[in-house]
Amino acid sequence: MKPHEFYLWMSYGMTAVALLAEIVALRMRRARSLKRIEEERDLEAQD
Amino acid sequence: MKIPWFYFASPPTFYRLAGWMAPAFFALAALLGAAGLYTGLVVAPTDAQQGEVYRIIFIHVPASWMSMFIYFVMACYGAVSLTFNTRLAAMMARALAPTGAMFTFVALWTGSFWGRPTWGTYWVWDARITSELVLLFLYFGFIALANAFEDPRRGDRAAALLALIGLVNLPIIYFSVLWWNTLHQGSSVKFTGSTMHVAMLWGMLLVALSFWMYSIGASLTRVRAIILERERRTHWVRGLAT
Repeated sequence: MKPHEFYLWMSYGMTAVALLAEIVALRMRRARSLKRIEEERDLEAQD
Repeated sequence: MKIPWFYFASPPTFYRLAGWMAPAFFALAALLGAAGLYTGLVVAPTDAQQGEVYRIIFIHVPASWMSMFIYFVMACYGAVSLTFNTRLAAMMARALAPTGAMFTFVALWTGSFWGRPTWGTYWVWDARITSELVLLFLYFGFIALANAFEDPRRGDRAAALLALIGLVNLPIIYFSVLWWNTLHQGSSVKFTGSTMHVAMLWGMLLVALSFWMYSIGASLTRVRAIILERERRTHWVRGLAT
């Protein structure tokens, strides 16, 4: 590995990780919100 | 033509609108990102002084621009929410903050890995770098304050106020290289022109556009989740989860 490659990989790699992590977090948040709505609706239906 | 602002500012309408727009913005971000990275990593020539390591610029500069621009837009939404007491503006401000924090982190991280081979150090308490770090803490403060109250509307107001106060940091970041004797170099791209090679400039601008489109897509996706959380007891949201 050439000396500059480490710095380039660390920069581009972390950017890719940060973008992917945000996309995964967005999907998880939406799924969590929908699950919560369903749970609350089921609880009300039981009452 | 008169735009029906109140119609689009209604959470149910905006929820559907954002659902249509977000995938288009993500697709645009992917296309522009691919074009920008090809231009920056393949077409742009090697820098005469820094060699190949300068190619960090194609992420570092666009991420730094987005970190400041997102904060500005977030503060504008905060101001609209405080002035007109609009729910959607406050939700948009909340939706932008994590993406802004992510780009600020990326700007600091890539700057650090560019600083080591060029300056000989990962970090210095330089005016530009320190004020960018303050921006990251402002984003963290905004997110923490917005979520610190049981009543989300109180959290919206407190966070909007913090966002407006924090605006003072943006000119400090931008002009820090002119106001103080810093290690960080001055701007290569100005409104009056650029001193960069045309391929380097295009690579940077394309990635910046890609990050911009990504930020819109991400904030629209997040605001949909926020709308679901806030409006979960309404009939229209109950209908969605079936």
